[in-house]
Amino acid sequence: MAVTRLAGVPSPARSRIGADRGPAAPGRRSRGGRPRSRVARLLRFAGIVPFVAYFAVFLVVPSVSVVSSAFETVGGNFTWANITAALQGTYLVSFEKSLELSAISAGLSAVLGTVVAIALASTANVAARRVVTSASAVFANTGGLPLAFAFIASLGNFGIVTKVLSAMGWNPYDHGFSIYTLTGLVVVYCYFLLPLMVLVMLPAVDGLRREWFEAASLLGARRRDAWRHVGIPVLAPAFLAALMVLFTDAFAAYATAAALTNGSIPIVPIQIGSLIEGNVLAGQQNVGDALGLGMIVVVAVAATLYARLQHRAARWQR
Amino acid sequence: MAALSAPRVATARAHPAAEFRLGPVARTGVLVVAALYFLVPLLASARYALEGAHGSYTLSSVTALFHDSVLLQSLVTSVEISLGAAAITLALLMPTSVWVNLRMPRWRRAMESITLLPLVVPVVVVVLGIYGAFPTGIVASPVLLALEYVVLAMPYSYRAIDGGVQALDLHTLVDASRSLGAGWAQVFRRVLVPNLRSSLLSAAFITVAYSLGEFAMANLLSFTTFPTELFQIGTEQVGEATAVSVFALVLTFGVLLALSLFGGHGRRRAVRAGLPAGQADGVVAELAAEVDAVLGHADPGRPGIVHDGPTMR
Repeated sequence: MAVTRLAGVPSPARSRIGADRGPAAPGRRSRGGRPRSRVARLLRFAGIVPFVAYFAVFLVVPSVSVVSSAFETVGGNFTWANITAALQGTYLVSFEKSLELSAISAGLSAVLGTVVAIALASTANVAARRVVTSASAVFANTGGLPLAFAFIASLGNFGIVTKVLSAMGWNPYDHGFSIYTLTGLVVVYCYFLLPLMVLVMLPAVDGLRREWFEAASLLGARRRDAWRHVGIPVLAPAFLAALMVLFTDAFAAYATAAALTNGSIPIVPIQIGSLIEGNVLAGQQNVGDALGLGMIVVVAVAATLYARLQHRAARWQR
Repeated sequence: MAALSAPRVATARAHPAAEFRLGPVARTGVLVVAALYFLVPLLASARYALEGAHGSYTLSSVTALFHDSVLLQSLVTSVEISLGAAAITLALLMPTSVWVNLRMPRWRRAMESITLLPLVVPVVVVVLGIYGAFPTGIVASPVLLALEYVVLAMPYSYRAIDGGVQALDLHTLVDASRSLGAGWAQVFRRVLVPNLRSSLLSAAFITVAYSLGEFAMANLLSFTTFPTELFQIGTEQVGEATAVSVFALVLTFGVLLALSLFGGHGRRRAVRAGLPAGQADGVVAELAAEVDAVLGHADPGRPGIVHDGPTMR
């Protein structure tokens, strides 16, 4: 998303003629000052050199290293072997599982989060609204270890909710449920994805004007029709944009899954983690980089879709 | 039907169902179910953490862990790393943001986009790259964590600082100070830093919060920080680890919730009183308002970072 926006920014380099005209019309000279020569133009960027260098060393260099190693043998020669290895067997399965996990937890959270946002927009109680949005901001920022422990304590093998349910005669572990599986991870991921959805969708839902509903009713729409032909289409871009964010968030998450399943669940971040920790087959040292490249590609696609959709969603929120 | 007579339209406000909203039963139902989903795990882990013999309650698992010297040492390490990261963040990002707004305002949007890039590269991938590209001597030092957390928290910290800088009348402030003979160091120290106090504090706060909770990178680079030590304990004594994490969670929740609940108020009251935000309630309310804004709902219409705060997943 950032890259496209970057390309759209006009270059500050101006034509010579424009620059020469600058001093002649001091009143029109922009406050940033128009650089008069090539040197001045370059000097204008001098102040961000430390930032650019820092950013390059600590983010760009590692990322580029992953991308290039994905196409290299251990000896440094070009090869497709890592990529093909990453698209086979357990690694392919881990991509499928990761996509499945992210899609299901993002989809579920998106739908339920929108319902909660609508319920919240429906209350006239300002205090309740304030408490729920604040709580959402807090819950959207949980995750990682504390969340994993909280779910082990409630829905784990010996968790409290599990105990209560089995005392009532329905032990979820006798019915195929386990918090340590993909299904369990979906339940846990929704805990931080759903509130994020509420925060993102609330402005969009608030933007649904009652006048539109009334206009639809005037034209003979029933409640269901008004939602189908007005409400849902208006919310759709914001919904889909948010869905991309939730998907990315779920796809990149490592800590929660690692803590909950102790690294035993075959999703991509965990696979990469276990490769980093040294569980590598001989000759496959760079397969981890190929998996990393795969993650970057998936996230970049989602981010691009997000940027497009966000643009459309902004239309209805003015 | 409602449309046929004008009076009914006029009283329609009293019937929330005549719009894209839920009725009272449905909305209460939805909110109660949501509340259960969010509160039960918290209550369960609190109960689990405090569970003594035969259903009694005890704090022993919490107190036992605070006598665990390895855990305490890891906490010290984490605090050091997070303070270091916050210091670097301020030293690096404030001059950058000031420079961009002063000298290259056309690049403002581009800078915002660039600072969002860390969200596009998953942390595990950054770790892979670190092993691939950095010399082993650097990878062995926990200083690396502080340096990396600056970048990982940047989507939030840069926004916090840049928001403050954009709100200033930067040219006037700088031109005035310069014409009175102040050098650049003095401009920063005596004009910009005091004016940006709340933004700088919130950027520091966000970086510290991120660094204290970050697990993935610390674990994969084999450092012993508070979260990784907690994870180690959790593999053997889930009860104890849950106790500490509940403790940490409640503390974080308390601070965040307080900031979130009261943050908007400080700013709103200040605005109502016709004061610039910040003169009303002192630095705490200012900081709260800033954190609130970055976490995302003080100004819900704002596009961009999608209302996502620092995450520790």
